Amino acid sequence: MHADKTNRSLLIFLAILLTAAGALGLITGFGVFGSDLQHRPLTRNRVGAFIGRDGDWLWPVVAVVVLLIALLALRWLLLILTSTDRSGDLRIRSDSSSGIRGKTTLSSSAVTAALSSEIESYRGVHSANARLIGNPDDPTLAVDVTLQQSANLAGVRRRVETEAFTHVRQAIGSPELPIRLDLGVSTKRPARTV
Amino acid sequence: MKHANRVLAALLSLAIIVVGGLLIIEVVADRINHRPALVHWHHAYEWLGRTEWLAGSVRVTCVLLILVGLVLLAAELKPPRVSRLRVSGSIPNTDTAYTRRGVATAVQSAVADVDGIRDTSISVSRRKVRLAATAGAADNGAAQQLREPVVEAAQQRLDALQLESAPSLSATIKPRRS
Repeated sequence: MHADKTNRSLLIFLAILLTAAGALGLITGFGVFGSDLQHRPLTRNRVGAFIGRDGDWLWPVVAVVVLLIALLALRWLLLILTSTDRSGDLRIRSDSSSGIRGKTTLSSSAVTAALSSEIESYRGVHSANARLIGNPDDPTLAVDVTLQQSANLAGVRRRVETEAFTHVRQAIGSPELPIRLDLGVSTKRPARTV
Repeated sequence: MKHANRVLAALLSLAIIVVGGLLIIEVVADRINHRPALVHWHHAYEWLGRTEWLAGSVRVTCVLLILVGLVLLAAELKPPRVSRLRVSGSIPNTDTAYTRRGVATAVQSAVADVDGIRDTSISVSRRKVRLAATAGAADNGAAQQLREPVVEAAQQRLDALQLESAPSLSATIKPRRS
């Protein structure tokens, strides 16, 4: 899902790195590691001496490591830009007792469009939108329903849960299909009848 | 925060790719020509070689690094704002909730139907619904008389949502500015 967990982990790592680098530089400048180091130029230390002494072989190695890091960063960028949480088409389990072999897939858009249409046909529903998310073998149905302000909120919810969700579970042959229903209320005021 | 993280992460990955690419180009150029190719890094290297740790520019840079790091850390570790409020009594394998905005709109529409109310604003958190309504009347006494019907309408609508953990309601009624 757009590498959200990776994004957060790496941004936390970056935040710790920046804070630690800043704190280390600041306390060095204040002489915590001795006044000798405090008065030395930034590159006159063990690391600087090592780079100066072994630069001949060190820089090509650094370039190779940086190339690997840049490739990983490119993969990360592509994940952010292209990945999706949608699960794709559904694989329907075949009935082994029937003796018929084959693979059946059900278009997820067909399932979600049928469900959305059914829910939108209910009185009190302003709009509905459904999508299958997660692992294609064990998907979750995510449904967003916007209710009209004048709707019987509890009644419509109960109808969506007991009718529309029962129908979709029957249609795809998965009575245990996990469903996440997000209910909203339309900001449009109902027209007044005079 | 997810969207902000995606933008930050995209910028960070892009920065790593660009800086990494430049570093590789410079290493190769230095091997072949013994000269910088795109970035005149010799100037930066010389500056590093003559700047001491106690220099003002180093301190300012370090303070900026700490500030950026702490702000980023606080933003990432802050618990996310509740976006959905679960309803009670859902059927098995079904996770039903109202969106925060949905709860706000539902309460707002109920309060807007109270005669004498001109404007309302609602903020919803996990535990509390804060309601600020402006009466049509400019007189404070008349505005406060609307408090009871406003609270009743809002509470009725909140009850109708059948939330698993019902937030408490606080209401403020203000008279219209004359």
